[in-house]
Amino acid sequence: MRRIFASVRDGRGFDIMLVGVPFTFLFALAGLPLIYNILMSFQEVDMFSLGSFIRPFVGFDNYVALFKQPETIPILTNTVVFVVGSIAGQFLLGFGLALFFWTNFPGASWLRGLFLVSWVMPGLVVGAIWNWILSGDFGVLNFFLRESGLIDGNIFWRSDPDFSLWAVVIANIWLGTSFNMILLSVGLSAIPGDLYEAAEMDGANAWQRFWTITLPMMRSTIGAIISLGLIFTLQQFDLFAAITDGGPNNSSNVAQYWAWDLSFRQYDFGRGATISVIMTVFVMFAAAVYVRSTRHEVRG
Amino acid sequence: MGIRKHSIAVALALTTAAFGGLSAKAEDVKLTLWSLDRDIQPAPNLIKEFNAQNNGIQIEYRQIQFDDVVSEAMRAYSTGKAPDIIAIDNPNHAMFASRKAFLDLTDMIETSTVIKPQNYFPGPLKSATWDDKYYGVPKATNTIALYYNKDLFKAAGLDPNKPPQTWDELVETARKLNDPSKNVYGITFCAKANEEGTFQFLPWAQMGGASYKAINGEGAVRALTIWKQLFDEKLTSPDTLTRSQWDSTATFNAGNAAMVISGPWEIDRMLTDAKFEWGTALLPVPQQGAQRSSAMGDYNWAIFSSTKHPKEAFKALEFFASKDATMYKDFGQLPARADLPVPPTGNAVKDAALATFIEQMKYAQPRGPSPEWPKISKAIQDAIQAALTGQMEPKAALDQAAEKIKSIEG
Repeated sequence: MRRIFASVRDGRGFDIMLVGVPFTFLFALAGLPLIYNILMSFQEVDMFSLGSFIRPFVGFDNYVALFKQPETIPILTNTVVFVVGSIAGQFLLGFGLALFFWTNFPGASWLRGLFLVSWVMPGLVVGAIWNWILSGDFGVLNFFLRESGLIDGNIFWRSDPDFSLWAVVIANIWLGTSFNMILLSVGLSAIPGDLYEAAEMDGANAWQRFWTITLPMMRSTIGAIISLGLIFTLQQFDLFAAITDGGPNNSSNVAQYWAWDLSFRQYDFGRGATISVIMTVFVMFAAAVYVRSTRHEVRG
Repeated sequence: MGIRKHSIAVALALTTAAFGGLSAKAEDVKLTLWSLDRDIQPAPNLIKEFNAQNNGIQIEYRQIQFDDVVSEAMRAYSTGKAPDIIAIDNPNHAMFASRKAFLDLTDMIETSTVIKPQNYFPGPLKSATWDDKYYGVPKATNTIALYYNKDLFKAAGLDPNKPPQTWDELVETARKLNDPSKNVYGITFCAKANEEGTFQFLPWAQMGGASYKAINGEGAVRALTIWKQLFDEKLTSPDTLTRSQWDSTATFNAGNAAMVISGPWEIDRMLTDAKFEWGTALLPVPQQGAQRSSAMGDYNWAIFSSTKHPKEAFKALEFFASKDATMYKDFGQLPARADLPVPPTGNAVKDAALATFIEQMKYAQPRGPSPEWPKISKAIQDAIQAALTGQMEPKAALDQAAEKIKSIEG
């Protein structure tokens, strides 16, 4: 008895407890729902079996039926375009802004803080505002493009199947840029200044300093930003609901919105769960790549 | 110690008093009711009145958000925690009725002196019916008709008292009213990728003699071709594909569209926002003398089959139905009753509009009823949008929808 007590206080028992508490927490709040979701993707689920675990097992029927639907491949393609487009835009703009504010002109830190306003706004509010901006007939974006001579006629951002997905990408880039900027600014400020001084003495120009010092030193920050970006863009739901509803004809529909639509509008919970599983596999793959790419930095 | 003893005594006294208080009310039958009505809408207010009668039945109210009504109800029913009464959106009614999750009210309605089937408009009643049995009672109703801007009619040399009667006339009128130089579209409506799109298109298909079971019928193809024509000739804004009915009507109120197809829920906003003279007309038909049709919206009352107090719950529904006469006056919603004239409001424009909607209501048809409605609706939305964006021909798009619907219905 005393040994067990001693072990818990200071020894292996304590270690196990330290691991056990967060592990239990993770398992209960993330693991169980995930397993339940995978289970559901192999079952036939309708409103009357929603409350029970034991439901007709249908094997891969949900998966097969899903890929037989003509809209599946376009929607998965849209998801990739949305994720890559959003992350690229958010990252490039965010990095540009971070470098800009890094020059530390008077009021820089103050302005940088203001940029976060876009990040704290609720997605539905952002969506509603972009809904107006992107409106075809009297939208502000079209007005600026027309006045600056870039376009002749109005672009119907939300309703033209060639533009609808990009309409949401634009809104999402705006939403995520400031978050990227803040994290990248933190990374930039952690780079020791003497590195640059030494490089400058050796005659490296600004471009060389960026490629050989800034970028390599920022590697783990960039990895973290991109994987966070992946998570945030795959979670993005409000903008779709507010701007296009996935239309016209699914041209701006993405996996996460479709999963919700199937589960909570068409009440096909099995198929909704199937899409979530496909997304989970995709995210796990991306996470594995991220962990591999940053492994040696983490170990220092 | 003294204080502690004292406090125990007080606590005991309080508990007994509390139990005493409770036991006096324990004979009351407690019912729960779920609906999405806010405090200015019917459900919570009617419940307050009902409870004030003190007739041995007390109703507890829970407000549910629009998006959660069905999923909450499903979860509650499948875990045995369903409320006694629920207000359900009419296209979802069949899903619950077909699985006997709702109580069959046919016998109770037969002997009821308050709820009589013949008093209701046929459309709303049909939405609460499954297998020729009544599984609910219409709570309120609405439909869609044509609003038009009389000032723009005059400016275009059209008679403001002769709104278009047929589809061809509608297109012709839209052409005359269309004026891109002034940012005026001929017409606006809603072809959005959600239930609203189906809600607006289905009446057109039905007027053409089609139904959701035969959505690729000739009349439906012609209807979709007319819609496409409106888009192709830019007689309506391309954003009609992504705007809700409410947002589309806002462009009409702002004078950016000369006509709009929408429902009676727009009247009050239009009275304050629209700075022009406007009128209403029945939905145009394919040709003179063709059958009319319209959409049908709003909620039904239903009793869950798991209730322990079916009689008391039905009494509550009877009470709600008895208040239908003052529903428009009190809450601005139309009762689904053909026997109750909506009393004049004193505003001639409003009364004329209401008269149009009540007339249109006679032709309103429910969506379905089908337990698989949401999936059927999605197939129709996809077809409409595929055709209107030019990705598919109207006929091909509707053929595909018909095939999907066939496999959904099994």
